[in-house]
Amino acid sequence: MDRFLTIIAALIAANALLCLYRAAVGPTVLDRLLAVNIVGTKTLVVVVLVTFIQAEAFFLDVGMVYALLLFVVTVAFSRYLEAEGRGEDR
Amino acid sequence: MTAREGVAAVFCCVGALFFVLGTTGLLRMPDLFSRLHPSTKCDTLGGCSVLLGMAVYSGLSWELAKLLVVALFLLISSATCGHAIGRAALRQGIRPWKKGEEKR
Repeated sequence: MDRFLTIIAALIAANALLCLYRAAVGPTVLDRLLAVNIVGTKTLVVVVLVTFIQAEAFFLDVGMVYALLLFVVTVAFSRYLEAEGRGEDR
Repeated sequence: MTAREGVAAVFCCVGALFFVLGTTGLLRMPDLFSRLHPSTKCDTLGGCSVLLGMAVYSGLSWELAKLLVVALFLLISSATCGHAIGRAALRQGIRPWKKGEEKR
């Protein structure tokens, strides 16, 4: 089972690397933000898989904190860009 | 392999499949609005099914509760982020792609 989980984690990590291509070429800032958000989600899932591969329970807490941080960063940044697009100060 | 591991493996495979599909959509769709669609799907469905698979694998324990909290949070946050990014793009004046236009 450990080997299977390692293969799944490697597959998802390879997907995250492919998503970085969109973050590099994405024509607008929002494309890059979307790509980074997805890379973050995939990292979160890889962290959760590593918890069970390594049988170390504390990685799961790392995953929870990472999910919270990811959410706050993306929402704050897209709200900022939204206000900037309308020329407002918020 | 026990039955529990089998169920977890099926969930993980479904999740990995959705992640691959989401990445394909993110790389190949023509503009931002159509890219939002596969990518939020891949977040919610792929991520949550891997997390549910791990919840089945872990059995009845504290890990199960934590995994369910992370999965619930992923469901909320992915949808919210997709909506916020889409609205920001619309307010910035990015027009949706129409058939026949060049890919952006």
